[in-house]
Amino acid sequence: MPSEKTIIELCGRVGKLLLENGAETGRVEGTVEYIGVAAGVPISCHATMTALFVDADTDTATHLVKVRTKDFDLRKVDAVNTLSRQFTAGAIDFATLDQAVGAIETTRRDYTWPQKILGAGLVSVAPMLLFQAAWSDLAWAFGVGIAGYLAANQVGRHTETPYIAVAAGGAVIGLLATGLQRAGVGVSADNIIISALMPLVPGVAITNSLRELIAKHTISGLVRAVDAVMVAGAIGGGVVVGAALAHLLTGGRA
Amino acid sequence: MMQLLIHAIVAFASSVGFGIITNIPRRTLLPAGVTGAASWVVYVVITGLTPNVILPNLLAAVTIGLVANTFAVVVKAPVNVLYIPSLVSLVPGAIIYMSMKAFTLGQEAAAQQGLIKTLTIAISLAVGFVVAEALFRPLRRHLHRRPAR
Repeated sequence: MPSEKTIIELCGRVGKLLLENGAETGRVEGTVEYIGVAAGVPISCHATMTALFVDADTDTATHLVKVRTKDFDLRKVDAVNTLSRQFTAGAIDFATLDQAVGAIETTRRDYTWPQKILGAGLVSVAPMLLFQAAWSDLAWAFGVGIAGYLAANQVGRHTETPYIAVAAGGAVIGLLATGLQRAGVGVSADNIIISALMPLVPGVAITNSLRELIAKHTISGLVRAVDAVMVAGAIGGGVVVGAALAHLLTGGRA
Repeated sequence: MMQLLIHAIVAFASSVGFGIITNIPRRTLLPAGVTGAASWVVYVVITGLTPNVILPNLLAAVTIGLVANTFAVVVKAPVNVLYIPSLVSLVPGAIIYMSMKAFTLGQEAAAQQGLIKTLTIAISLAVGFVVAEALFRPLRRHLHRRPAR
């Protein structure tokens, strides 16, 4: 039988994994509490986007876990979900759960780079612009979107400063799209930019934020909303800088 | 008809692509794509029928909610894993970007208008999910009872 302390500690790790990788707050709290009950310790969990509190109802001590959200990795969310299902159904014991959670924390299973690049390209052809933008622009957006996604990824790997990565992605997209228009091959730089920005833009974050607000997870909802506006602002700034640079390079007025 | 088909294919590709970027498990890629395509077709059809902005988004979100929840039970995955990729075409990302761009360029009126439109769309989507989940709750019990493990 695992001690209460190890159960709480594991619950904290599970909650952190879920929260970091894009699960909703309600689901995080629910999963952690289910695991606690299944492990024999009734647990209260309170999650916001920035911190997670786990508390055994029988004890006064509270376990606090700091969380900083990163990029979504929904595969981890799914893996934790599967584990917690198995554990609450009694299919695996506590030691196995502990080990498996450790494995999810350390390993990152991912699609290969060519697959991800193709994925970014596909997202960059926005259905919103079908029959509105020129077909050639949508084709350009495929490539420009990939460039923006790669730029954001590479920069994100080398810096800890938040928002720089998406701004760099935006700048690359603004630069290329404006350059294409100036070179006379792209019809509308605006359409290329909007379409190519799809992989970077925080639309999902906004909608998730509203869903949190409706579920009365007010703090998380506000955190997500403000973050989304900051991301959009960084992208917007990046695009403006990139476009201005393209105008300078091609010798026109900005 | 042809146009709808093209819409469906591009929306399918978008959802699968975003699924790859957000690293959803392989077994959920196809369901996510189908959900995305279905909701986008609903969006396009309703947009053709009404000048209203709220209704197409709301109904598209209801579609996502119902289809994704069904798939979630079938492939045993958290719904969010399906929601996020299938939302990508509907979500007001482009509009909030344009609004923030207007903001950086000092065009306050356009920035405000964009923010409010973003909010309108996001609220209609979120309400659509709430409606879908309310509709799905009795259905889920039914679905859960049937399949033997």
